[in-house]
Amino acid sequence: MQHVLIVEDSATMRSLIASTLEDLDVPVKITEAASGFEALHCLPRDPFDLIVTDINMPDINGLELVSFIKSNATYRGIPLVIVSTEGAERDRAKGMELGADAYLVKPFEPEEFCSVIMELLAQPKQER
Amino acid sequence: MANGNGPDRDSKAYSEFLSEAEEMLERLRGDLADLEDQRHDGGEVNPDLINGMFRSAHSLKGLSGMFGLDAIAGLAHHFEDTLDGLRLGRIALDSPQAGMIGNIIDLFGTVMASLGNEAEEDQMNASINELIANLEAGGTGTEEEDSQSVPRLLLDPTLMRALTEYEEHRLNENLRRHRIVLLVEAAFEILSFDEGLSELSSSIREVGEVISTLPSPGAAADSQIRFVLLVASDLDAPAMTRHIDSPNASVTAVPEDTGAASTETPAPAEKLEPPKAEPICAPPVHQQELSSLLVQADAPAPPPSSSVHYEESTSSAVDEEDAPHESPPPPGDGGRVPEEFSSLKSVSDTVRVDIRKLNELMNLVGELVMHRSAIGATVRTLSADAATARAGEDLGKTYKGLSRKLKDLQSSVLELRLVPLRQILDKLSRVVRRLRRELEKDVILELNGVDTELDKLMVEELVDPLVHLVRNSFDHGIEAADERVAAGKSEQGRIVIDAFQRGNHVVIQVTDDGRGIDPLAVRAKAEKMGVIVSGMELTRKEILDLVFHPGLSTRAEVTGTSGRGVGMDVVRENIKEMGGIVTIDSDLGKGTVTSLTLPVTLAIIQSLIVGSSDQFYAIPLNAVLETLLIDANEIQSSEQQELLNLRGEPLTLRSLSDEFGLPRAEDAEQVYVVVIGIGESRLGLIVDRLEGQQDTVLKPIQGPIGEVRGISGATEISEHGAVLVLDVAAIVEDTLRRRDLR
Amino acid sequence: MTDSSNTEKSMDRRGERARWEAIARAAAEAKSEGEGESDICELLSFRLADEAYAIPVERVREIVRMRPLTPVPRVPKEVIGVVSLRGEIVEVVDLRVRLGLPSEGPMRRTRIIVLHGDSGRVTGLLVDEVTKVLRVPESDLRPAASSETDVVYALYRREDEFISLMDVNRVLEI
Repeated sequence: MQHVLIVEDSATMRSLIASTLEDLDVPVKITEAASGFEALHCLPRDPFDLIVTDINMPDINGLELVSFIKSNATYRGIPLVIVSTEGAERDRAKGMELGADAYLVKPFEPEEFCSVIMELLAQPKQER
Repeated sequence: MANGNGPDRDSKAYSEFLSEAEEMLERLRGDLADLEDQRHDGGEVNPDLINGMFRSAHSLKGLSGMFGLDAIAGLAHHFEDTLDGLRLGRIALDSPQAGMIGNIIDLFGTVMASLGNEAEEDQMNASINELIANLEAGGTGTEEEDSQSVPRLLLDPTLMRALTEYEEHRLNENLRRHRIVLLVEAAFEILSFDEGLSELSSSIREVGEVISTLPSPGAAADSQIRFVLLVASDLDAPAMTRHIDSPNASVTAVPEDTGAASTETPAPAEKLEPPKAEPICAPPVHQQELSSLLVQADAPAPPPSSSVHYEESTSSAVDEEDAPHESPPPPGDGGRVPEEFSSLKSVSDTVRVDIRKLNELMNLVGELVMHRSAIGATVRTLSADAATARAGEDLGKTYKGLSRKLKDLQSSVLELRLVPLRQILDKLSRVVRRLRRELEKDVILELNGVDTELDKLMVEELVDPLVHLVRNSFDHGIEAADERVAAGKSEQGRIVIDAFQRGNHVVIQVTDDGRGIDPLAVRAKAEKMGVIVSGMELTRKEILDLVFHPGLSTRAEVTGTSGRGVGMDVVRENIKEMGGIVTIDSDLGKGTVTSLTLPVTLAIIQSLIVGSSDQFYAIPLNAVLETLLIDANEIQSSEQQELLNLRGEPLTLRSLSDEFGLPRAEDAEQVYVVVIGIGESRLGLIVDRLEGQQDTVLKPIQGPIGEVRGISGATEISEHGAVLVLDVAAIVEDTLRRRDLR
Repeated sequence: MTDSSNTEKSMDRRGERARWEAIARAAAEAKSEGEGESDICELLSFRLADEAYAIPVERVREIVRMRPLTPVPRVPKEVIGVVSLRGEIVEVVDLRVRLGLPSEGPMRRTRIIVLHGDSGRVTGLLVDEVTKVLRVPESDLRPAASSETDVVYALYRREDEFISLMDVNRVLEI
């Protein structure tokens, strides 16, 4: 069972991402967080296999979350995908600099999303 | 792709999208109204507000894109650009700009409403594309180099990287205002950081702006999380430390990069004044500006240029021009401290609960009720036997007490679903505030009974009809000031909304003191449109009722206020769907009153779920008199008829399995009887099991057969899927008729 | 606010929805492209007792997996029950029964094709397997030898197989 954390303030987008993940060929368990703060609460509770996050969110933004995760010894090994709307090239560059493993632009194709996710999940687990 | 049966249109996500988009539009409307208020009060516009609007537009774009709603996505894209320009200070927020934002939000509303109707959608898409073309043609204006000279800071590159473009802009904006940039660090317990952090943030907001909140590693303990807040303020580090007054937080000033002298040049005044009609436009905060903040950057100070500002042109230029560099800039966010505090407080004594959790709670109560029935059966068994009668009596008392408390519990849980109307009535105040500005009519809105409660689901459905009614009153009811004075009325118009409970219903009345409806004019129009035959005899009320006719309710002229194509017929339809009724009364020259009468909870009916022949059925609880657990041998069979002696009275029984031609469970020693009643008629329905009570939403059955005798519809229950809801009246009627025929 | 909902989905609930959504999307795209070329029609093909059938794509609202049915009393045997589609209660017609074929229990590929009905009424149609969306020139369709009650109104030859085009309205005349 792969445990995925989805951080996204839009409920619709969360369920779209969740349903795409559920259609993967691997069993997934999904935890949804509606804000960066919620994500910070979720992180210590479960060992996640993957994190999918939006950038534009209330309280802390996605970049701040990425920065935290990737500078934290406990979490930095978790593959992280940023999903954000087009037209934020700067944010994209920053996200990758901060250590995000992939960046997808909304609207994304389910196929594209799935192949990125499968690739990340297939990577050998880094040390946690 | 504008097809009515486009992809994903029926998916759960799509319906979620629709309601989320609805919420976003509502929030945008509210934000815009607040924005207008702040602007009119002459104060500084709260950057968080515009950023919030930007986020809404951004989400709207992303979501509609995911559903292939290209036109909406396109519109959202332009909207986002505009808001982006505003929040990054590239565009000044002037009256035309604010008006345009209002129009775009309205257009979203209309286009969202058109979804599902192919013809309307196509039409909407065409108008959107036209609008977008206009925006693009007149839109962005000249791009000027915007690279205000700002002091450089020695900031941690990691922190810089985590700043979004907007946050960078806020940093620059604050630097430009010569505010002091500080880092506030604090560690909190992970489990409860929200509270501590928001306390810290709001304390800082009293004297400055929180630009970024970065969670960071390096907390002392594993159970803790550390945050670094990038803050701009007029206070220096020691003063900020005193202000925060928390042993937990440490404040450090971000040193300026002394390697490059910060030679601030004031921007020329004429460049600061945006032309009235055309907003100043400049490119985004560019790479060079960012790099000027980074340690390694050492380019010469860029030339001065137009500044970025949120204020209206009239008020903005002054302090830029006059303020000497050394003097502290005007206090920024100090003005909204009390509000901030009060909102935090109100959050803390209210709990937001997912309605599904309430349903779960309701289900639990239902299960308890089921157990109670079993205890009731035991009480009867014990009482029937002389040897145990005493114990039966004792248990009976406890049983009664339990029943009472259960009933209280049940109604308390139901009450949780009820929310005060305040929430939507406040929205109406915003609508009126906005209309007042747009139409330049002096109208006061009075709200009475804002604490009247209605089912949450209904309250949401009520927003549109009420907004429509208020707009109607504003637009068509209330006369222009001179007309009012001539009619001997006060210059100021009045719209009153009264909400109150009457029996099991809630009544909401919208009353205006405007010109009223002329029955003769309505009649003439109805005749002209062929809605009624000319010369037909009608009472005044019947004539007034014609305004709900689709042909008549839609205004010929389209005004921005009353919207297009949405008329009183839609209002009536909406209210009808909620099980309510709309009536209108009007006194020519004096005003109009529209009344909505709604059941307190309609969407939800309480049902008893029963099991019979491996199937589940829902019986509306208002038809259930009692439930009994009886021994099978208590049933007296005679002439294909079954009877039960219930407290000396014969009760006709009918097995639900027999009623629906299903195999009856065999050799059951005990069966449940649900006593149902309609009017004076009684019937005992034999079922195999009681599954407890549930909140159910009655839905019609769709398909080639549709309605079935004895079934009034179906409902979805999480663990059973679709469950048929019995039409108690039909079953009682059919059974008793059969009995009487024998 | 600190609450986050955990959704655990079992293997069998995950499924081909994405695939069907893709088909539905392709269908809708095909449809919008097809505007202007009036002689192309889009058909959703499916199988029933080893025969190929098709219905016009524009009548299809969605395709869902088999799910628990709630039988309804007092209805013709073709209507095998109702399902809840996101709260909407929809009757499901077993197409096998409707065509007088022996009814079979749900199989792995059994699907419910949800149709837009007249006056907004929605109906589910139980089929053995949904195959694909076809874009077919109208001129390639041949009228079927029709009898009064026959629900097949045309045939289309695809490779070495005939696909029977169904008149949805007739199918729903129960």
